[in-house]
Amino acid sequence: MTFHRLPAGRVVVANAAGEHVLLERSEFLELSEGRLEDLRLIRLLRSKHIIRDPADSLPVELLALKVRTRYAALAEFTKLHIFVVTLRCEHSCQYCQVSRRSSNREGYDMSEATAVAALDVAFRTPSSSLKIEFQGGEPLLNFELIQFIVQQAEQRALELDKDVSFVITTNLALLDDNVIRFCRTHDIGISTSLDGPRDIHNANRPRPGQNSWELAVEGIRRVQEELGHNSIAALMTTTEASLGRAVEIVDTYVELDLLDVFLRPISPYGLAIRSRSHLAYDVEAWLRFYSDGLSHILDLNRLGVPVVERYAAVILRKMLTNDESGYVDLRSPAGIGIAAIVYNYDGDVYASDEGRMLAEMADTTFRLGNLHEDQYEDFVLGEALLAPLDESFALSAPMCSECAFERYCGADPVYHHATTGDFLGRKPLSAFCQRNTGVFELLVERHHDDSFARGQFRKWASR
Amino acid sequence: MTAVSAHPEGVRVQLDAGGHSIDAIQRAAYRLCDRLSVEVTSNGDNWSCLVTSVDGCGPDPIDVADFRVEVIDQVLRERIRDSTEQTRNMILSLAFSGLVDQAPE
Repeated sequence: MTFHRLPAGRVVVANAAGEHVLLERSEFLELSEGRLEDLRLIRLLRSKHIIRDPADSLPVELLALKVRTRYAALAEFTKLHIFVVTLRCEHSCQYCQVSRRSSNREGYDMSEATAVAALDVAFRTPSSSLKIEFQGGEPLLNFELIQFIVQQAEQRALELDKDVSFVITTNLALLDDNVIRFCRTHDIGISTSLDGPRDIHNANRPRPGQNSWELAVEGIRRVQEELGHNSIAALMTTTEASLGRAVEIVDTYVELDLLDVFLRPISPYGLAIRSRSHLAYDVEAWLRFYSDGLSHILDLNRLGVPVVERYAAVILRKMLTNDESGYVDLRSPAGIGIAAIVYNYDGDVYASDEGRMLAEMADTTFRLGNLHEDQYEDFVLGEALLAPLDESFALSAPMCSECAFERYCGADPVYHHATTGDFLGRKPLSAFCQRNTGVFELLVERHHDDSFARGQFRKWASR
Repeated sequence: MTAVSAHPEGVRVQLDAGGHSIDAIQRAAYRLCDRLSVEVTSNGDNWSCLVTSVDGCGPDPIDVADFRVEVIDQVLRERIRDSTEQTRNMILSLAFSGLVDQAPE
């Protein structure tokens, strides 16, 4: 049993599988002092395996089953395979997490030989289903290679009896009939960035013509019309310009019929750390932004607009079910290598996309090897992967090991290495910890205090 | 028990040997080696840490406090890692279990 005191005095109590109850301070005192008398409270605590009759072993067995269920997905090793097909891009986003190059500069495209070597590795993984995600730079600048990889991957999947799906992460500025046709034929999803209203988006994403927002909106509408609304998802990145404008950002998404909103913080990688934009706001400011956005989304749901906040959905799945969400950044053991792996344009292999971004800043800590020099076993069994996985394991970390939210949280060795030089970090000083704790507290309180929110959260958890 | 006292060359931090391993103390000292130099000697039931500043100007009290916090951090890491070793190894083994049947092509 672990517990966490909420700011207003109530206490979250969790069991080993992450199921929780929210107790009043007096109830928690009764529990911690071993003087429970309220039958309702006793029934509640027994139902969540917080307490048990000493002679009854069934609760322990049930709890063990739930813990095993949570960890069962770990054996599906590496579902997400990220192919960085080019480093070229025609945007200059201030928080870009890769060092962008001019779209005219050659030498930053992945070759067919590298792509084949990457596919060889990808299809060695034990996972029965693979998701191949094309990243850049702007991946549509190397669309021919994307077509090659998709066709090769589909053939291999058929031969090996695996499922494979595809996503292209693109700014949509280069979307044309050819791309649309190919995506339709091969059922390829599109992921794009939309930071909110025009002024926020264009300020974050300068490009020649200063029309990034217009192109993104045009592209979103076109994909929705020609490929279907479910074929496109958008992500926003929070910058200082976003703070205080969560409602407008959510409304922009709703106006474009994008009903999944992911209220993300800024990451400390790539250009973001060089431009120091990750220091532009503190955790408390972001939490206020997040709370405003979540409240507005719930209000929209009350009006019948089925908007989902995706980060909440990820956490609620862990909080309210025994399933893992698959979200790479919120897992322990960390999702690096286990959940995702990155094949860079030059053949280098990285444990995560953030690890690749660090390498663009001359920090190759998370480089696992090179496709043309190393074997699959070198990537997944080498020290470059095993050391951060082992050292960042949350159940072995001070503060995390006794945290009631540990099952909902994750180890992020790349973040902590980037910000402190240490895979584990010191959690009282960790913005990752502070941010996530704030979100967990918010969701637990809403879940317990707001019956409408509780209903929505249960839907989001099971989607 | 921790005790801090002045020393002509810096600050002396006494750490109870029963509650602090030499490994944890040295790891902590290493983490702050950009600011502090820490000389550790055994003094019966205690470790005696002579803490000096690398720039020769006398250790900043904030840096000394940082060293003490870092020692606690390293002690906790060591203790919790030891107590959770079996669980951690079991879970990581599960994660890599699918690789057992992988044969090189």
